[in-house]
Amino acid sequence: MRTLTEIWKRYKLGPLVLILLVLFLFLLPLPRWLAPERKLVSNSLLFSLTQLFMLVTLASDWNMTGGFTGYIDFGHAVFFGIGAYGAGVMMAKAGWPFVPALIVGAVAAAIFAVLIGSATLRLKGPYFSIAMLGTFVAMREIVRVLRPITGGGSGLTLPPYLNRPLFYYVTLILAVLVVAFVWWLRRTQFGATLVAIREDEVGAEMRGINTTLHKITIFWIAAFFTGIVGALWAYQNTFIDPDVVFFESRTIELVMMTMLGGLGTVAGPVIGVTVIYWLRDILWSNFLQFHLLVEGVLLIVIVLFFPEGIMGLLNDPSATSLGRLWGRYLGEGPKDAYQSTETETSV
Amino acid sequence: MNPFALPTREAAAPSAPHPEAAPLLEGRNVTKFFGGLAALNSVDFAVYPNEIMGLIGPNGSGKTTLFDCLTRVQHVSAGEIYFKGVDITDYKPYQVAHLGLARTFQVIRVYKKLTVWENMLLSRQWGGLSMRKKFHTPPAETEDRARGLVSFLLLDRVMDEQAGNLSGGQQRLLEIGMALMPDPDLILLDEATSGVNPTLIEEIKDRIRTLNSQYGKAFLLVEHNIHFISDLCSRVFVLNYGQKLAEGSPDEIMENEDVIEAYFGADGGDDDDW
Repeated sequence: MRTLTEIWKRYKLGPLVLILLVLFLFLLPLPRWLAPERKLVSNSLLFSLTQLFMLVTLASDWNMTGGFTGYIDFGHAVFFGIGAYGAGVMMAKAGWPFVPALIVGAVAAAIFAVLIGSATLRLKGPYFSIAMLGTFVAMREIVRVLRPITGGGSGLTLPPYLNRPLFYYVTLILAVLVVAFVWWLRRTQFGATLVAIREDEVGAEMRGINTTLHKITIFWIAAFFTGIVGALWAYQNTFIDPDVVFFESRTIELVMMTMLGGLGTVAGPVIGVTVIYWLRDILWSNFLQFHLLVEGVLLIVIVLFFPEGIMGLLNDPSATSLGRLWGRYLGEGPKDAYQSTETETSV
Repeated sequence: MNPFALPTREAAAPSAPHPEAAPLLEGRNVTKFFGGLAALNSVDFAVYPNEIMGLIGPNGSGKTTLFDCLTRVQHVSAGEIYFKGVDITDYKPYQVAHLGLARTFQVIRVYKKLTVWENMLLSRQWGGLSMRKKFHTPPAETEDRARGLVSFLLLDRVMDEQAGNLSGGQQRLLEIGMALMPDPDLILLDEATSGVNPTLIEEIKDRIRTLNSQYGKAFLLVEHNIHFISDLCSRVFVLNYGQKLAEGSPDEIMENEDVIEAYFGADGGDDDDW
């Protein structure tokens, strides 16, 4: 027990890790509860959760570049598409089984990330974002034009595999692996250099960090995981075409979810995805006409009142407009972050 | 006690260059154009091992541009730069840092949202470190060195504070600490005393002197504070309109008529105006 406490302290494991761990243990036996005799292959809750786990993985992937390095990628779904098509083509055209096809899709996404990242990651700020959006649109059209390989606009039909619990487990484990990877990454020297790049790229380069190499490395790692999700999604969906795979809103969703949870934090994407996913379900079922309006308003509220997201609100409420408003409502005076430091530590 | 957790170099090294020593950093015919404007025009200069050299000049004379060219933040339009005998003219900034050339900036560049401790660890020597090792937590010797430097620079009490919350003077000290983390041979300090109170300036001066005499670190200082320069430097290099105006000991420079004219105009000025 003492060792466990030491590990907990040494690796700075917060209460959120505990919550996520409990959640994971709760989610693990869920398919057996929902389908004890494995007869239920299309349980809607199971399907919803599978989608949720995929989104958690995707948002965590996006967070690796967008959150840690500060390179806001508006075309990240291109790697999802490459993963989906990589696996889809190998299965539908070459007759490969799923696992090697998935590996092909993920590796293709990673290789494409190295190639495109070598060019686009030299751009800064909005130029990078727009270049990636352009890459995404261009790739959709390339897939549409390459009819003999990709099936063009008619798409590809993959051999169906109707085993919901299996998809559930695979996506759950993948989500846990990716979130754990991000958590571990942030504690490594490499992870810290990514944050340094976000904070001051010129300074980081001047202090000996090969920023281009580090950006490309994290870019392909994120693309690899995104490619895996793309391949899983294609297999689960059994049909892919350029418009459903290369869907613009997919990246926008990831940006919004990660921002809501907290950019550059480990738990942020998990929280953001969960909140928006369930919120959307509620909006869809109750206010079908207004759901997009509500989502838009939510995005505005995030940017205006708590750009640091829910994690920022939890870590330091006084640093956000919403937290300050709440503090004022409760009658607390504004906190001067500089005051105490100046008096206590002036040399 | 050695604050850096590293062996000291030749102790009590003189700050004046040895007449036959090879330059540590050398610029030959360094030229930099911004459009049609020559920010640096055929500048030749050298910094020697264990030396503290000053670089002064009126505003817009090209001091920071020269720093940027030396550390490869800017490409030179013509000329060559050598560090430890290696031609670094086409090097990338991180490669220059790996060779042992560190710098601070005129406008403080620390990672403001990270703690002092994280800032220090992130400034370690990255040269020769494989990608695999980067995927580990910082080794004990890096942490020891960071701890030693934080203490040496009087930043122990703010170690867990976000760098952006420190006072300007403390941020300057942190930046110097970050420059020292990779154990460089030469440190370029760009206006290290700007916005710093007089007590802290004395502390900075004291630390530079110790680093030079006890640990053999060479410094190139860009300064407007001439007393800081004259107290520390054995040699001063003066730039004006991107060209070398004068070079010599601080006393020689303070009496040089061309320098006085460049700073105060043709009628000269009061000595206290420096």
